[in-house]
Amino acid sequence: MQPKRRVDRSRLTMPVNNPRFVDKAWTRGCDGFQLDLEDSVPQSQKAHARTLVREAIAKVSKGGGDVEVRINMAYIVADVKAAAWPGVLSLNIGHTLRTDQIELADACISQMERERGIRPGTIAIQYAPDMVYATVKDDELTKASPRIRWYYGGGNYDYSLSLGVEMFTGLDPLWYARNNGSLLARAHDKTPNVVARLPDTSGSVSDADRAFNQAEATRKLGGRKGSGLHPAVVEPSNRGLTPPPDELEEARQVLAFWDELDRRGEAEGMLDGTVVDRYEAARAAELLDWADACAQKDAFKARMTAAAREREGQ
Amino acid sequence: MLPVPSLVRRSVLVVPILDAESVRRAWSHNADAVMLDISGVPETERRRARSLLPEAILTAARGGAEVFVRIGKDVAYADITAAALPGLAGVALPDAESPEDVAEVDAMLRERERIEGIPGGRLEIFLLLSTARGVWNIRQLLRASERVSAAALDEPALCRSLGVMPSDEFDALTFGRGRLIVETLAITRLPVGMGHPLAARPRQLTEEELFHAATDARNVGFKGALCPYPSWVEPCNRAFTPTDEQVEYYREVRRTFAEGVARGTAAVAFAGGQMIDVPVDERAKLGIDLWERCRKRDREKAAALQRAT
Repeated sequence: MQPKRRVDRSRLTMPVNNPRFVDKAWTRGCDGFQLDLEDSVPQSQKAHARTLVREAIAKVSKGGGDVEVRINMAYIVADVKAAAWPGVLSLNIGHTLRTDQIELADACISQMERERGIRPGTIAIQYAPDMVYATVKDDELTKASPRIRWYYGGGNYDYSLSLGVEMFTGLDPLWYARNNGSLLARAHDKTPNVVARLPDTSGSVSDADRAFNQAEATRKLGGRKGSGLHPAVVEPSNRGLTPPPDELEEARQVLAFWDELDRRGEAEGMLDGTVVDRYEAARAAELLDWADACAQKDAFKARMTAAAREREGQ
Repeated sequence: MLPVPSLVRRSVLVVPILDAESVRRAWSHNADAVMLDISGVPETERRRARSLLPEAILTAARGGAEVFVRIGKDVAYADITAAALPGLAGVALPDAESPEDVAEVDAMLRERERIEGIPGGRLEIFLLLSTARGVWNIRQLLRASERVSAAALDEPALCRSLGVMPSDEFDALTFGRGRLIVETLAITRLPVGMGHPLAARPRQLTEEELFHAATDARNVGFKGALCPYPSWVEPCNRAFTPTDEQVEYYREVRRTFAEGVARGTAAVAFAGGQMIDVPVDERAKLGIDLWERCRKRDREKAAALQRAT
């Protein structure tokens, strides 16, 4: 079974019309996939790409990864019809600028859920505040549909474009957008995306060491999500976002100490030079819960992958 | 293509109006814009400072620079009456905190345009934010008048009003700078600013140090910088102009992406493990466009300079 808590350490994005990527995706160990109908699919291929989505969903999910589909803001009706199938976790609208785009997507998904026997409300919407024009409307966009569960403020390539800056200068031009988004997500009870942005001057999408360092720094900041464009970053991203044994041991000690403080009727105490209070205890409990969810996800993916390999005689 | 500010205003040289020698030479530094400052003039000298504006505006424009006058918010009517002459690009409004502040200046400029025979709507407002309230309300300030063309933090003044001691080591204005850039670009106006720590602690440095700081400013989204010294102008012009090498990279990106699209893919591998898709191609297009606009601006200034000498 999938863990109750969503585990999304390594979301791999790929153009749905590229069989070289789609056919092998389930073997990559990803927690999730984003099948792209949007910017990585040329205009001339859009209609053909829509016909491939349903089969691609079945293919990539064989290894236990969640499936999202990124749809075009300009073709919401056609893309939702092509993408809203059982097994899809979320439809992601690229370049969202207006609430009516989200409302239209919501209505189309509702219709597809009815027609295709999907429990109402199953498919989430993620909108991409991936340009400065969206950041200034974040507040209204975030409230546009109850299907919006996660909020990831400040994308990469598109946001840099709207700022008119280069991405790989070692500076972090997306700092404001990301932090604004993180606060906004919490203010609207959405799951935020906390990301540590390490200086990057190469722009390589396949650098495994960098992916690990980025994921590890994100985990230490409290972030739980990772994504990538190349299979080489999947494993390091999973590893970096999974708590290592020494951190888990420390968390158990904090919780044990907190229980002792609680029994003594005290609100805080010192453990190895660090103050332990209810906030530290809550952080330790969250980390252990996250580690359990990661372990469940890994076990689920392993079972699904093994079963798929057996079916396919690999 | 995305809407982007089309103005090229890489260097805005700030010149105190009572510094006669600096005013006399303001046109010769190759700045894209000159901002004549009467806001810092003592009250007793105000009248004389205003009387200097007609000639100073003409002098500052000789090298092809746009000319702004930085007015005092509390004496805006008198300052605008003295400054709003043919040849003026607009006024820089410091300390704005509410949309009403901006709307009031808008109305004054409209009146002066009518009286002076300046085409309606031509005079711009350049916002200079120096308080927390101004930074927080920037979205409303930018939308309070169609005349608002650019915005900058007056970082030394903002530090004073926040009670922050400017420091090279710690950057206290990251949030304000990010907010200004995002909000200003979202309405297609020009964010102007220098990299940390020079904006909050301006000083004379080597050309390469200034170039480095201006490059940092460009890389976080600023499109030009306020220059308190003439020595800042050339490094800023250089840093905010794409280099020939960058333009060649942009052209290679565009060629590679077009070949990918022709093959049926819009996610194309590129040198150094990079990936090109639509936004990367669009960014390259914008870079080439900016380079062409900078060249055009440089030709305009060179022609003006030739006429002046």
